[in-house]
This record gives sequence, structure tokens and C-alpha cells, in this order.
Amino acid sequence: MTIEEIVFYAFALLAVTASFLVVNLRNTARALFLFFVVLFAMAGLYLFALADFVAITQILVYVGGVLILLIFAFMLSNRELLDDLQNTSKRFISLPNWQSALLVTAFLAIMVYVFHSWGKHLPHWISEAEAKGTVILPTDNTVETLGFKFMTQYILPFEVISIFLMMTLIGAAHLSRKEDNT
Amino acid sequence: MIVVLLPFLAFLVQALLGKKAKSGNIGLLAIAGSTIMCLLGVFMEVWHSTTMSQRWEWFVIGKSPFHFGILLNNLTVLMQLLVCIIALPVHIYSRAYMKGDEGIHRYWMYLSLFCFAMLGLTVSINLFQMYIFWELVGFSSYLLIGFWFTRESAVQANKKAFLVNRIGDIGFLIGLSLLFSHFGTLDIVDLFGTEGVFMKGFLNDGSWQVVDKNTLWITVAGVAFFLGAMAKSAQFPLHVWLPDAMEGPTSVSSLIHAATMVAAGVFLLCSVFPLFNDTVLLIIAVIGTLTATTAAIFALGQYDIKKILAFSTISQLGFMMVGVGIGAWDAAMFHLTTHAFFKCLLFLGAGAVIHEMAHLKAHYRLDIDPQDLRQMGGLRKYMPKTFILMAIASLALAGFPLTSGYLSKDSIVISAYEWASHLGGGRILIPIALIIVSLLTAFYIGRLIFKAFFGTFTHEEAIKEPISLHEAPVAMLIPMVFLVIGCLFIGYSLNPLNYHHSWLMESLHVNMTFTVVPLAHTIIPVFLTVGTLITWLIGWKWYVKKAYPLQAESKWILFSTRQGYLDEFNNRVFVQGTEKLSLALYWFDKHIIDGATKLLTRFTTGISTATHWIDKYIVDGFVNLAANTTYYIGHLVRHVQNGQLQAYLGFAFTVVVLGILYLIIR
Amino acid sequence: MITLTHFLVVSACIFCIGLYAVLAKRNAIMILVGIELMINAAILNFVAFGKYDKENYGGQIFALFAIVLAAAAVAVGLAIILNVYRHYKTINPEKIHELKD
Repeated sequence: MTIEEIVFYAFALLAVTASFLVVNLRNTARALFLFFVVLFAMAGLYLFALADFVAITQILVYVGGVLILLIFAFMLSNRELLDDLQNTSKRFISLPNWQSALLVTAFLAIMVYVFHSWGKHLPHWISEAEAKGTVILPTDNTVETLGFKFMTQYILPFEVISIFLMMTLIGAAHLSRKEDNT
Repeated sequence: MIVVLLPFLAFLVQALLGKKAKSGNIGLLAIAGSTIMCLLGVFMEVWHSTTMSQRWEWFVIGKSPFHFGILLNNLTVLMQLLVCIIALPVHIYSRAYMKGDEGIHRYWMYLSLFCFAMLGLTVSINLFQMYIFWELVGFSSYLLIGFWFTRESAVQANKKAFLVNRIGDIGFLIGLSLLFSHFGTLDIVDLFGTEGVFMKGFLNDGSWQVVDKNTLWITVAGVAFFLGAMAKSAQFPLHVWLPDAMEGPTSVSSLIHAATMVAAGVFLLCSVFPLFNDTVLLIIAVIGTLTATTAAIFALGQYDIKKILAFSTISQLGFMMVGVGIGAWDAAMFHLTTHAFFKCLLFLGAGAVIHEMAHLKAHYRLDIDPQDLRQMGGLRKYMPKTFILMAIASLALAGFPLTSGYLSKDSIVISAYEWASHLGGGRILIPIALIIVSLLTAFYIGRLIFKAFFGTFTHEEAIKEPISLHEAPVAMLIPMVFLVIGCLFIGYSLNPLNYHHSWLMESLHVNMTFTVVPLAHTIIPVFLTVGTLITWLIGWKWYVKKAYPLQAESKWILFSTRQGYLDEFNNRVFVQGTEKLSLALYWFDKHIIDGATKLLTRFTTGISTATHWIDKYIVDGFVNLAANTTYYIGHLVRHVQNGQLQAYLGFAFTVVVLGILYLIIR
Repeated sequence: MITLTHFLVVSACIFCIGLYAVLAKRNAIMILVGIELMINAAILNFVAFGKYDKENYGGQIFALFAIVLAAAAVAVGLAIILNVYRHYKTINPEKIHELKD
């Protein structure tokens, strides 16, 4: 077992455990903070996949944006909302809904099985790439390449995404405006 | 034929004319015509010569044809003439007696119907036809007895008469059927004539057979016919209707119940005489004697004139039956003829007396029964002619010499004595009883005459003014005079003492089975005459001088007054018995039969309830179960669409997982 | 050696946990969290496969886009939850069943 593997397993375990706790905690505030931990662990995992820019972007956007948004929305919501949520079971961990647990376990089993069978028989393009050696190396400058790619190859999706983002934000703002007293 | 049909025509015309024909001339003319025709046309021709008969085919049952027709032999023409001759004076008498009665048109109608029926009966050629007329006679007597139907007692009486007659008719019918089943014919000539079955034998599968008269069925047939005659001629114990039949008008009583209808029974027996064997004849004689005795006893205690005469009729009918029973039916017919005359006369005279008493009652508003003997007395002063006529008739009834009754009655008594001495044994009781009855007859008829006509009139003291009782009207007297001629001996025989020489007896001659005892011929009449005189003396002393040895309320008198309590006995046994039986049957029907029906209905109701239950719960239950199951399943499945987001997602993913599993496993 | 399979297994786990959150939680915000988890797992997948795509860098590009879209989704989701709350006075998805049969 190399260090690499140990760290990887640590991050993976952290992510999975934290996400497990997120879905099982009764206290929503605590769940959201654990989500924060999940996101950080995911970012670490991204690093292992040699996607450093994605990891950084994840921390910036997800943690700094989405998570903050969730926390603010949750904290600043009405008292009835909070009360309503807290009126559920007093236990620390709620029992899982057995039908969905069963379903999820089945899904997991399927996916693990699939992936195992993949491991034995990798797709054609992956094995070719490995054979040719066109894999991202840890010594590559991904940031520069990504920037370059964004402006030339992927410029259309880039612009579309930005407009899309604007639309959603405006739409969200509009949706959540205060109603006039009618 | 015309003789028979004339009264029938009169009946029809009277019925049609209804209330307008009040004088009754039509009936009178009819009967007069019948009499003349009968006398001249029929009687003279047939009497003492060959028999004439005429038949017409009527209907066919199976293989045997039924005829109806007319038989004219000595016996039948004698009866026919008798009926006509008696009916004629009665018609004349009725004109005066029934004058002023409201229903007089009905009276003439019924009277004509009766004459038609009686005449038809006498000339019938076969027994079936005779039976029809027999019934018709009974029916018309029912109508006539109940003529004053507004009186309760009259209605009861005619019902009683009809019912008792019915009992006799059953006997007649049984006899009819027995004869028919054995011989195949009901024709009188074929059966009883000189060439007939009983004399010579009958054809049985090609060979002549003589009829054995001692078989059981012959005895039964004989008894059956005698039963019919018993009811009609009022023998003991079926005589109970005759005293009550006095509710009818007196002229009716005189015609029907003295002279003709009651004689129909004797006539029947004489017609079928060859049928009877010794056992039956003995039964007839015994019952005849019994009737004569009991009736005479009952007559002693009666107070009603008509009832006394009714009992005397019964008694004399008993005499006639004895005559038939001993085999001397010619004597019986002789006595029937003479009895018809003097009894009719007695009734007509009684009717005259009653008529006058009724006038008295209406005139002085007395509360008396016009027929009650105790209210009368000393009527000799007021109604002399009636008195003489009734006295002559009484002498005839008692059998006093120089009357016709002497001849006929003594013929029977003497013949009975000869028969008994010939056959011996206990049969000697019969003539002895007959002698005693003759004496009693003299006694009670003497009592009637003494109480009614001698002595002083009971109401003389009560009514201070002179009583306006007068003699009977002429219209009543003339018929009575006509009848009195028949009471005297002259009509019958030139010899007043010896009955054998009477022309009637000679023509109806019957071979006697017993020898003539000459000594009896003299002793018995002398004995009877002396006895009669003695009883009259006793009666004179008792009734005229009013020296009774017996109290009026003593047991013997009550016994005879109440007719031996026979009516009560009949009532208790038959009437109440029948009522109880019908009550029992009603209970049976109500509880058991209706109970069975109810049980059946309950059973059926139970079955239908059970079926209904099965249908409702089981059959419908299945249907409902199917429906409910479907509903329940739908209800369950409906919850799939519960509008919950997560449920939808769950279902979707389930399908996806299953799909992937399927792909993997395949 | 960290092979592709490791990444795939981890991402499968997180995806399933997120799926569980979507299906079983009775809080609409937790459902959003579940969705986020699923998207994160997908991004991890992209990144893991993107390692073998040097000429196009497709995996990583798309991962970036996915992050942005996830954020937008959260924003809109929250706006919707707010409206739902205003209308139904609850954010329990089990209580919002007006579309039921």
C-alpha cells in the first residue's frame, strides 16, 4: 500500500461517510455543515484524478456559492419552516425508508458489478489511450490548457452557459420576489 | 192418456194465469173431465177383461232401452178411478172451504199437479216411470202441506214430510236398481205379469230359469220396496210426518193423506207383489200390525180433530199392510177403496166443523184453536147434517155391519186369522192384535163423535148472546153426501155380511195359500160388533156424562198424546247426532286438513325463505365478492398515484433497476 | 494503484447515497442536497474518465460546466421551494399531493 492509496482511501472514506451522515441526520443544519465536509473531500478526490482546476473550481463555486446559498436559505427562512422541520422525530439518526434503501442498495450492487466487469474489460478507447500514452500526466499544465480550450474549442458552450446562468439567476430572483398584498 | 194429461194441462194453465184464476174452475173442469173419461172410457173397458198396455220408447242407456207407457189392468184402473172419484168432490168442497184465501190460485195449481202425478203413478208401465211420479207426488204433497208457508209449524211440517219421504225413496231406488241389475228390465208387465219373470222364469243365456225367490237379494229388494211404501204409507217408525202434515188445509188432508197418496204405498206393494218371498211378507205383516197398534194408542190421547183422524189413517194403513203381508192383497185393495171413501168423508166433515169454529173465533174474538176437540161440544144442535154424515163415516171406520168398512176390515181380520191358523206358531198374535186395534178404533172414533157433537157447547156460558153457529154451506155438503154413498155396503156387495161376494174381491181374486175357516167367518165379525158396541157405551159414559176414570194428566194419556215421545227420540238421535257429526267434521276439516294445508304453506314458505337467503348471501355474495375484490385492488393500486414526488421517483427507479438487472442477467 | 474502478466505485457510492436522500427525505432542502450529491458523483465520474482524454480535455471541461449548472439548479430549486412553502405552508413532499388520483 502506497501513500497514494492510503490518502485516496482516506479521502474516499471521508466523502462517503460524510455523505452518509448528511442524509441520515435529523438536524438539517448539521447536515448542511457536513455537506461542506463532503464537498472538500470530493475536491481532494478530484486531485487524485489529476483535475486540479476542477477541484479549485469546486471549492470556489460549490462551497463558496452553493453551500453558502443553502445555509443562508435555511437559516433565514421562517420560523414555521424551522419548526415544521424540527417537529419530526427526535432521534439523532432516522431510520431509513426501507423501500428506498432497498432500491438504493440494488442500484449500488448493479453499479459495482458493472464497474467490476469493466475493470476486467476496459473500453477500447481507454486501453488505446493507455497504450499510446495520451493520458494526462501530473506534470501537465491543466490550467493553461483548459483556458486555451475554453476560448477556442469550447467557446460556444461557454457563452451559452454564461447566458444560461444569468437566466436562471434572474428567474430565481423573480420567482422568489415578495408578493404584493392582494 | 187423456185422463192423465187433463190435470196436468189444468196445472199448467193455472200456473200461467196466476192470480187471476181464483175460482178454480179450470181445475174443477179438468178433474171432472178426467173422472168421466176414466169411468166410461177406461174402467168399463178394462175391468175384468184383458190387460191393455202401450209403450213408447223413451231413451236408451247402453244396450237397454227405457220405455214409458201406460199399463191398464184391473189394479191400475181401479186405482185410477178411485183417485178421480175422490178428487172430484174434494175439488168442489175446496171451492167453499178455501174461499177468501189469498193464495188460492197457488192452491189450484198444486192440486192439479198432485192429481196429475197421482194418475200418472197409477198407470205407469215400468217402475222407473212410477218412481218419477212417486217423487212428483211427494213433491206436490210437500207444496200442499206447506201451503200456508207463513206459519212456522207448516214449514217445519212440510220439511219433515219431505225428508221422511226421501228415506223411503231411497228404498224404492235400491229395489229398482236390484231388479234392473238382475233382470235387465223394469217393465211391470214383463216382471210381474202372468207371463212375466216371476211367474214363469226368465231367459238366462238361452235357457229358461225359474226365479228362486229365497235368495238374499230378492229379500233385500223386497225389503227395499217395502221401505219405500213405509215412508209413503206412514208405517211405524216412518209415520212421524203424517200427524204434522195436518198443517195443510183440511181438503188437502182429505185428498192426499186419507185417500190417495198414502194409498200409493199399498198400491206399489200390490203391483210388485210377486217379488216378495215369505220372509219379506212376514216383515210386512209384523210392521203393519205394529203400526196399527201404536197408531191406535196414540189416537186415544189426541186433542186435535185432524190429528185423531191422521192416526186413524195410519192405523188403517197398518191394516192394509197386514193384508198384503198375509198374501191377501185383494183384501188390502178392498180396504183401501172403502177407507178412501169414509176417511175422506171424515176429513171433509172435520173440515166443516173447523171452518165453523174458525168463524166463531173470528166473530167473537175468542182465543181458541179451531181444531181443538176440547173446545167443541154439542154441535149436534147446530150442525145436524154434518153430524149425520160424520156418524155414518165413523160407523164405517169402526166396521159396524151394514157399512162398507165392515166388509173390508173384517175381510182382513178373518183372512189374518185363517193365515195364522194355517201356518201356526206365534203368528196368532197378529189377528189378536188386529182385533184389539179394531176395538180401539171404535173407541177413539166414538170419542171424537161424542166430544164434538154430544153434550153441551163449551162456550155457551162464556158467550151470552145466541151463538151464530150454522150448518156447513151447501157446497161443502154435497160432496160429502156423494162420498157417503161409498160408505155404505151397497156399492160393493149385495150381501152385507159376506165379503167374498163383493165384485171387487172377485175381480182381484188372488190365490190364497191358506184354507178358509168357515167358523172364523162368523165368530170374528160377531165378536167385533159386540165389542164395538161395548166400547161405545163406555165412551158415552166417559165423554158425554163426563165421568172420567183417569185424570187428564196421567202418564198413559200423556204417553199417547205425545205420540210415544217418538218425535223427541228422533230429534235426539238423528237431528242432534247429525249436527254433532257435522261439527266434528268441521273441526276435522278446520284443524287437520287446514292444518295440513298450513303446514304445507309453512314448509313452502320456509323453503322459499331459505332459497332467498341462499340467493341473497351466497349468490349475491359471490358477485359482491368479485366486485369488492376489484374495488379493493383498485383502491390499493390507487395509492400509487398519491401525488408524492418521492413515490414517483421510487417507482421509476425500481423499474430502471429491474430493467438493468434483466439486461445483465440476460 | 488507483485504477479507474476505484473512482467509479466511490462515485457510485456517493451517487446512491444521494439517490437515497432524494427518495427518502421528508425535507425539500435535503432533497436538494441529495441532488447535489448526485451531481457531485457524476462530476467525479467525468473527471475520472477525463484522465485518458488528453487531446480534448473533455472530461474536465464538462466537469466545470456541470459545477456551474449545479449551482444554477440549486438557486432555482430554492426559489421553487420558497414558492411551494408560500402556497402549501409546508415543505414536506409527502404533504404535497394535489396531483394525486
